[in-house]
Amino acid sequence: MPVDRRKAAVFGGALALRLLLLLLFPSLPDLLTGRVEVSTPVTSFKRLQEGLFLYNRNASPYDGGVFHQAPLLLPIFSLLPNAQEYPFPTALFYSLVDLLNASALVTISDSAQAVSGRLYSSVRKQIKWDGVVVAAWFLFNPFTIATCLGRSTAVFTTTGILYALSAAVQGQNLNSMLALGFASYLSIYPALLFIPLVLLCYDRRAQRSNITPSTALFVVKHFAVFLLSIAGLLGISLLIIGDLFALISATYGFQLLVPDLTPNIGLWWYFFIEIFDSFRDFFLGVFWLHLTAYAGSLTVRLRRQPLFVVTSLLGIFAVFKPYPSISDASLYFALLPLYRHIFPLMRYTFFSVSALLYASLLGPAFYHLWIYAGSGNANFFYAITLVWSLGLSLVIADTIFAALRDEWEQENPDQRGRPVKQV
Amino acid sequence: MASPAALPPLPFNPSRVRSYVLRLPLFTRLVVLAIIVFWLLEFQTVWSVVQWGALIPDEIGLSTMYRLNTYPVIHTGFFHAFINLLALVPLLERFEAEHGTLTAIALFIGPLSTFPAGIYLLIEKFVLHSNTSVAGASVWVFLLLGSESIRTFKSNPYFSLGNYKIPTWTSPLFACAVVWMLVSNTSVLGHLSAVLIGYLLGLGYLKVFVPPEKILRWIEGKLNLLGRLPHYVSVDQKTYGRFGVLPTAGAPGGERGTPMSFMAALRNLRNNPKFLFVRLPYILSFLCVVAGVVWLFLLPLDDYSRKTYISENALLPGQVHAYFSGSEQHIFRGYKKELEGLLGDNAGDEVQEQKSEERTPVISDKIQSILKAAGLKVATQGYQYTSSGITHEGENIYAIIQAPRGDATEAIVLVAAWKTVDGELNLNGVSLALTLARYFKRWSLWSKDIIFVFPPDSKSGTQAWIDAYHDMQPPTVQPLPLKSGALQGGLVIEYPFNHRFENLHIVYDGVNGQLPNLDLFNTAVSISGGQMGIGTRLQEMWEHNGSYEKRLQTMLRGMVKQGFGYATGAHSSFMPYHIDAITLQTQGNGWQDEMALGRTVEGLCRSLNNLLEHLHQSFFFYLLMQTHRFVSIGTYLPSAMLIAGNFTIMAISIWLRTGYYENPKSSDTAAAPQDEKSEKAQLAAKDQGVVAVAQQPTEKVAERQLALPLTLVVGLHLLGLIPLYIFNNLSHDTYTLATFTSIAINAALPLLVSLLLSRTPTTTQQKAHLIKSLSLLLLGLFLSTLATLNFSLSFMIGLLCAPLSFVHRITPETSPGLRYALSLSGLFFLNLVSPPVVLLAGCAYYGVSVETVLTEAAFGWDVWGMWTQVVVWCVWWPAWVVGGAVVGTSMF
Repeated sequence: MPVDRRKAAVFGGALALRLLLLLLFPSLPDLLTGRVEVSTPVTSFKRLQEGLFLYNRNASPYDGGVFHQAPLLLPIFSLLPNAQEYPFPTALFYSLVDLLNASALVTISDSAQAVSGRLYSSVRKQIKWDGVVVAAWFLFNPFTIATCLGRSTAVFTTTGILYALSAAVQGQNLNSMLALGFASYLSIYPALLFIPLVLLCYDRRAQRSNITPSTALFVVKHFAVFLLSIAGLLGISLLIIGDLFALISATYGFQLLVPDLTPNIGLWWYFFIEIFDSFRDFFLGVFWLHLTAYAGSLTVRLRRQPLFVVTSLLGIFAVFKPYPSISDASLYFALLPLYRHIFPLMRYTFFSVSALLYASLLGPAFYHLWIYAGSGNANFFYAITLVWSLGLSLVIADTIFAALRDEWEQENPDQRGRPVKQV
Repeated sequence: MASPAALPPLPFNPSRVRSYVLRLPLFTRLVVLAIIVFWLLEFQTVWSVVQWGALIPDEIGLSTMYRLNTYPVIHTGFFHAFINLLALVPLLERFEAEHGTLTAIALFIGPLSTFPAGIYLLIEKFVLHSNTSVAGASVWVFLLLGSESIRTFKSNPYFSLGNYKIPTWTSPLFACAVVWMLVSNTSVLGHLSAVLIGYLLGLGYLKVFVPPEKILRWIEGKLNLLGRLPHYVSVDQKTYGRFGVLPTAGAPGGERGTPMSFMAALRNLRNNPKFLFVRLPYILSFLCVVAGVVWLFLLPLDDYSRKTYISENALLPGQVHAYFSGSEQHIFRGYKKELEGLLGDNAGDEVQEQKSEERTPVISDKIQSILKAAGLKVATQGYQYTSSGITHEGENIYAIIQAPRGDATEAIVLVAAWKTVDGELNLNGVSLALTLARYFKRWSLWSKDIIFVFPPDSKSGTQAWIDAYHDMQPPTVQPLPLKSGALQGGLVIEYPFNHRFENLHIVYDGVNGQLPNLDLFNTAVSISGGQMGIGTRLQEMWEHNGSYEKRLQTMLRGMVKQGFGYATGAHSSFMPYHIDAITLQTQGNGWQDEMALGRTVEGLCRSLNNLLEHLHQSFFFYLLMQTHRFVSIGTYLPSAMLIAGNFTIMAISIWLRTGYYENPKSSDTAAAPQDEKSEKAQLAAKDQGVVAVAQQPTEKVAERQLALPLTLVVGLHLLGLIPLYIFNNLSHDTYTLATFTSIAINAALPLLVSLLLSRTPTTTQQKAHLIKSLSLLLLGLFLSTLATLNFSLSFMIGLLCAPLSFVHRITPETSPGLRYALSLSGLFFLNLVSPPVVLLAGCAYYGVSVETVLTEAAFGWDVWGMWTQVVVWCVWWPAWVVGGAVVGTSMF
């Protein structure tokens, strides 16, 4: 297999940049690890270290209520040398994971599922970036770099999701379900991607062999695989932890019930700080219902583009998740370049990009004013997280509009380029 | 709804009135508008419009000549204005429709206002010797009546009233008399002089003042006034006579004069891409900058600044009696003598003036032994900093009074540095702190620990101490062997001379423009001024009378200090740790002695001792303009935000311009207005800035080639790290050379960048636009973020960068000679506002050497954690280089 030189350059450059940053600014990883924008209670590397410490001393890592991540991470990380003394191997490991994610992206992009699937083929399919460019957007995205250097464990969830997608577009349905199971095992929310993903698998299967299998049976089969993969991973975890209830309540219970209201870039923490305790359960339900509702409805509306549904859902998760961080945004921005062909149809690009830029600069500034300088307060930071979420939701809404418009133009070729008014 | 048939039809038709009003010509509208605006302005109480603009004979001087022109549009009340309007509008409309808008403007702004005023003034002042002020449009009413009456006289010379024949030209005089008799407070003299000028106008003697028709036509043609201004009456109308052809001929759009004209004007504007996309952003940006600056200059006014007040009730400033007096003074003198005796002992020199003022180990031991004798826990801390090849080292001495009523969780710091921030010996301050330490130790009311720190200098000592207090010290600084609780506040005492003092100078600026809580400052002002009777000063404003100029000066001095972000005293180092601290400096030659200062410090410590929680109630962002007046962030922030916003506006507009090719067929105006894309394409169609490179004429939306501009802009911002590193790590004697080298490099760099840009394949125009847009977007982003952290720095950098919004690439269509001249002069001008040149200019203005400033800056970076340089090199400098490169592309 001939080595693609551009790909090698991009991947090598990304790796070099990460290691160079580590070399030039040795304090950068620790700084980023402490930032609320990078590390949430469920992905923080600091908390992982705490869990690791307990694990290596044969105590339950969930004792002390600090560590809330999947137990399988512990044996993996205990293989690596102590990050405090030797930061290099950990950084290299994370950089390699980033490269893996990028290579999955290249596969997804090269399959061209984003522009033409089984049921739908865009009229603009000639406008498209190739895999290397998409990978470059991901690898050189400052959010990705910050996540990588901040050693957030969200990157493993990203790997799971991206590999589930790349396996799905290649027609390896079983692998896809296993990867999604892995992602859902790490952090529960990727399970919501099951519906569009299984449809993507189904479409690929139908595209390859001309006989279309029964939809219901297909879904049930894959769901079983998905559940089995999670169950398998949980089974292995039981070998590590032993106490199933403690494991579930410390990880999934923690993610579902949101007891830790450390500030993050999402919308939940401030709301649940302010709310009276008697309404907490109700609003917890409402917030989760809101988050899950998108999966079904978007799949119905955009049935013909399941990959786009996955992309949009990831964007929505980055806004409405209980513990979002910039790694979620970076995952969404990694998949967006696949939809280069609908960029010309987007209407608020400049505005939303500016809003995101302003938010990413003002966020740390206001956090500084609140926490360090003491001259601001929580409302400063929360206001900026609102702007950030607004910017992200604008991008999401705008891309969905553009995708729908693209579908509409494919249905009505004579209407192409004509103005459209939403009513 | 049918109207009853018995009623006669209305004598006038409302729709006709409406159409009449809607067809009023331009100048008449402007006059009506001016009258209404001035009438509305009269409602406010601050500024008396009538006093300002009326024709008052005694007030007329060279500087108040404007009154000769303003008095006709100013009225004293609603009825005055209303009746004059009713009378004036038909007459003026007639005049304008007949003579054209330009002539009307020329005459009414000029001779037709000033001549009656002149006559009136002459008679009123020099003949009657009285001083009746006049105002109102009635002067124009009578003037126009006069001129109409002459016209009537020519065609219809007499009224016949029975046998008498009355000349028609007398009618205005009758009107004048009637008005005089019926309406009170009218100036018959003013009306008569107006009628006189009206006669002259009617008789044609004033024709000399009408600008020649040729010029008017030329102006009209050049500026295309007919096309641009709605309701404009052309000079040509004269040829058609008063009731000739309606002024529609030659006007584009044709809706002029109809009720739709306003909408049409708007539509014209929308269809004028040149205006919307090229001119308007410049106007808006410029307005933003101007508004930002004006806003700042309004702040010292009483309406925008507020009186200070104490928010934190626990402070209770000046509510306790200060007992520091009497016998303590002997102790003070004793300590002072002991320390004085040790001064320069090791030098072995007898002459007092030449004694070494360094704090020798002997003195350190003395201070420690005094503190120990007073019963305090004493510890020392050695430190060493190296910056710009200069080593700063010393040893801090500090002692802690453990609170009799506290649990060592909170503490107050009192600092007396051996050397003040100006490098003077602070013997009195140190002795006073020692006396206070002994005195405080005996009180049982302290609920917070009190820490006395004696650093050897004001620049590095406190920084080393406070860093070590929070375990954040660099390896060259020793850790503290003894610690207490969270620091609640800090006071620095400076008394660097031997005579008595007059005022206390309160220094409050922290590193990076951080400020202590305003309550601390207020408490100090209130205790020293209210309780002790000592005057307070700030920002080295020794004479402050509360006038606007002094306030502005105080505020600007504070802003400059805040913007530079350097430590202004030993207290500055406390600010980054969120510890509010101020320096009390003695100043002047008065009758206050060290005991008064001691009592003030005692009062302040008692107030801080009262605190139940950290100071948080009052403002952390403020600009002080007097000891009792301040502006808070909500009032001043818009100023910097407006300046930062100007870059964003420009960035957005240029971004929009880059998206579209020039469309060779610009006539397809019939496209649906909802279609955003095609409309924008149209709008940009005439945009001369975009070079026609449309390979596919059907594709209107241009693809933006973002990769190169993005890389360039981000790369330049990263490149800023290199000068940042160099300037912070050079040795101090090479700074002058480095500055001049960087000026030379700065002059060449934009040209180099633009040369490289012109070698790349895509069109230079789009690249230049995209690069400028991205760079300005980033600049606006950074500056608005910075404004929330350090307002003054953001404001200053914003002002210095403001030209970058307005420089652009000169299109290659311009003739080469002009192009080179313009771009070279543009580059020259830009070089004048480049960071190192501004640094040199600033140094020359303040009379300090560049080496001193840069050494101080590097020291600030190394020791204080000051990041002004980061802003200069990673925000300002890249934006500047991009601005230069954009101008530079005009040459290639």
